[in-house]
Amino acid sequence: MSVHVSTLQARISGESTASSPLSTEEYFVNMGPQHPSTHGVLRLVLRLDGETVREVVPVLGYIHRGIEKMGEHGNYRQFVHLVDRMDYLSALANNWAVTMVVEKAAKMETTERIQAIRTLVCELQRIQSHLLWWGVFGMDLGGFTPFFYGLREREQICDIFEKTIGARLTMNYIQPGGVMFDIHPEFVKDVKAFISYLKPKLVEYDALVTDNVIIQERIRGIGKLSAERAIALGATGPVLRASGVAHDLRKSEPYGVYSQLDFDVPVGKDGDCWDRYWVRMEEMRQSVRMIEQLIDNIPEGKTFMVKPAAKIKVPAGVHYSHLETARGILGVLLVSDGKEAPYRIHCRTPNFNNLWCIGEMATGGRMGDLVAMLSSIDIVVPDIDR
Amino acid sequence: MDALNLIAAVQALQPDAKVREQTDQPTLIVPAHALVALARQLRDDPTLRFDLLETHTAVDWLDEDRFELLYLLASVPLGHHLTLSVSIDRDEPVVPTLCEVYPIAQWLEREVYDMFGILYDNHPDLRRLFLEDDWVGFPLRKDYEDDFMLERPE
Amino acid sequence: MGVITDKLPGVLEPVPGGSVLLTAVDQLINWSRSNSLWPLTFGTSCCAIEVMMATGAARHDLARFGAEVARPSPRQADLLVIAGTIVKRMAPRLRTLYEQMAEPRYVMATGSCAICGGPFMYHSYTTVRGADEIIPVDVYVPGCPPRPEAFFYGLLTLQKMIKEGESIRHPGERRRPVLAALPEGMTLDDIRKEMQDLLSHDANVNMAAAVAEGARYSSELKDF
Ligand code: SF4
Repeated sequence: MSVHVSTLQARISGESTASSPLSTEEYFVNMGPQHPSTHGVLRLVLRLDGETVREVVPVLGYIHRGIEKMGEHGNYRQFVHLVDRMDYLSALANNWAVTMVVEKAAKMETTERIQAIRTLVCELQRIQSHLLWWGVFGMDLGGFTPFFYGLREREQICDIFEKTIGARLTMNYIQPGGVMFDIHPEFVKDVKAFISYLKPKLVEYDALVTDNVIIQERIRGIGKLSAERAIALGATGPVLRASGVAHDLRKSEPYGVYSQLDFDVPVGKDGDCWDRYWVRMEEMRQSVRMIEQLIDNIPEGKTFMVKPAAKIKVPAGVHYSHLETARGILGVLLVSDGKEAPYRIHCRTPNFNNLWCIGEMATGGRMGDLVAMLSSIDIVVPDIDR
Repeated sequence: MDALNLIAAVQALQPDAKVREQTDQPTLIVPAHALVALARQLRDDPTLRFDLLETHTAVDWLDEDRFELLYLLASVPLGHHLTLSVSIDRDEPVVPTLCEVYPIAQWLEREVYDMFGILYDNHPDLRRLFLEDDWVGFPLRKDYEDDFMLERPE
Repeated sequence: MGVITDKLPGVLEPVPGGSVLLTAVDQLINWSRSNSLWPLTFGTSCCAIEVMMATGAARHDLARFGAEVARPSPRQADLLVIAGTIVKRMAPRLRTLYEQMAEPRYVMATGSCAICGGPFMYHSYTTVRGADEIIPVDVYVPGCPPRPEAFFYGLLTLQKMIKEGESIRHPGERRRPVLAALPEGMTLDDIRKEMQDLLSHDANVNMAAAVAEGARYSSELKDF
C-alpha cells in the first residue's frame, strides 16, 4: 500500500518512475492552430505523460506574411504601416520603433512637442494593451467578467485615439519626422476624464480579480522562470521583469520624454504567473502616473518637421535602435545602401523571444496550467511570425 | 563602458577582430572560426557580461558574393551593446552555431536558415521555422524568385 | 435540414394550398436561421481584435443580433468569420474547418486581407490573395480592420440574404456574394437607425406577407 501512495505522490510532483505500477504511456497532443486560447494561430505540440507536460514544441508560420521582404520593396514611410500589423496591440510603439531608427540614421530633427505626443499616446496604448490582456487572461482562466470590464475601458481609449488619429487599431500615426496629425482640441480633456475614470476601476479590478483567492491559488507558483533562464532565452518586457530583473529601456536608455518623467519599474520575485500578472497590473498604474505628469505639460511646437511627401534617404550602413513596447524590446535593424528603399530591414520582436520561455515554464508542469502560462506571457502571434 | 573602451577590450580578447565602418553601434568583424570562443568570453568576462543575444540576422550582399551575419549582443546588468559581424562565402554558407552560449540562438538561427539558407554547424535542430519543409528557395535572399509574388504596379 | 424538409416540397406542392404553406415554412426557417447565427472563433490576426473581441464585448454587444454564441468547434458553428490574413500554410486548415462545418454554413470575409490580401498583396511570398481562393464567401466586409459597426452591417446584410435567399425548394442555392460596404455619405447615426429599424422589423415573422407570397407563387405555377 505504501508503494502505491508514494507513486501517486511522485506522479503528482511530476516525476513518474518507469517501474511504478501506475506509469502511463507518453502521448502527443496537438494544440492549435485554431484554438480559442492560443491567441491567434499558434500551434503547440505537447508531449504528455498523463497530466504532466514533458515537452512543448511551438510550431510557427501560420501567419508568416513576409513583412521583411515587403519592406525591401517600398520606402521607409511605406514600411511604417506594415509594422502596425505585427504587434497590433502596440501599433504606435511599432510605428515609433521604425521612425526612431530612420530618424536616427537620417539625422532628422524633432521637436519636444512631437516627442511628448508620442510618449503620451504610447503610454495610453500600453494601458489599452494591458487592459485587453487582463480581460483575456481572466477569460482563459475561466472567468468571463474581466473580459467585459477590460474591453469596456479599452473602448474609451479607442475613442480618444479615434478623435486624434482616426483609427482604432492600426494607427500609422508616428511617422519619420513627426506625427501625422496634431492632437485633437479635446484630447487633453478626454484623457483627463479617462484617467479619473480608470483610477477607481483599477481598484475595482484588484478587488475583483487580484485579491481573489481563487485566482491567487490558481496562478501562484506555476510557470516559474528564473532570471538567468529568462535572460538566456532573450525574454524581455513584463516576462523578464516578473523574474526579478529591472530591465526597462524607458529607464535604462530613455527615449522620447521618459527621462523627464518620474515612474517606477515594477519587478516580480519568483517569475511565476502571478508575478507576471502583478507586474502588468502595476505597469498600468505607472502608465497612469506618467500620463498625469505629461498631460498638462505638452510643449508647444510643430508636429511635423518634413513634408509627408518628402523623400527620405538614409546614409549607407547598419543602423539599429530599440524601444519598449507593452510586451518587451522591439528593435529595428536597418541596413541601408543609400537608396530610398531599405536594403534589408529586420525586426527584433519581443514575442518571438518570449514565446520560447513556454518550454521552460511548462515542462514538468500540469497540462491544465499550460493555458494560464501561455496567457501570462501575453503573446501576439503575428508579431512572432511577421 | 563606452564604445572605444569596449572595442579595445574585445580586441584584447580577440586580436583578429576589426572595426566595421558605417554603423551606429560598436561593431567588430570577427572570423567565423573564432565566433563561439569569443562569444563565450564576452558572456563570461566580468567587465563585459554580454548575457543577452538581442537578435541575430543576416544580410545578403549579392554584389560582393557574401552573407554578413550580425549578432547583436547586449548586457542587461551593464547596459552596453556590441554587434559582431561575420562574413561568409555565399556558395558555402556554413558557420558554427551559438546555441551553447546563448540558448535563444537555436530559434534565431532556425529563422535565418529558413530565410537565407545559412547552415549552422552543430545546430541541434536545424529545420525550417516559418515555411513548410518542402518550400523551395530562401525568400530573403536577393536572388529569390517566386512566380506567386506580385509586383506592385507603378 | 434532413429527411423531412427534403421530402416536404415534393409532398406538399401538389396539395391545394400546399405552396402557401411551403413559403411560410421557408420564411420561418430562414428567419430562425438568420437570427441565431453561431460564429466559429477563428481569428488569425489584427481583424480578430476588432471583429471577434470588440464586437463581443460590452459596448457593441453582438448578442443583440443573436450571434454571440461563439463556438470553438466548427461542427457546432454555422458562420465562419474570416478575420485576418490567410497565408499559404494556413489555407489547408481553413479549408478543413470550412468542410467540417455543417450545412447550412455561411462565410463572411472581414477585412481587406480576407478579401484580396490587403496590405500584403504585393511582394509577399506567402499571403493568399483573398479567402475566396480557398472557400466560397457570402459577404465581404471591407476595412483594415473593419469597425465593429461595419461588421454589424455585414452581419445584417448576411441576415437579409438568408431571409430572402434560400428556399427548401432549391436547397443549397445561394444568391451572389455581396459586398457590405457602407454606402457613400452614410453616417454612424444612419447605421444605428437602420439597425434599429431592421431589428424591430425582424422581431416577428410577417405571416400575411408569407401567405401573399405563397399565393403568388402558386398562381405563377398554374400559369406555367
Ligand atoms: S485587413 Fe488589416 S487589420 Fe485586418 S488582418 Fe489584414 S492587415 Fe490586419
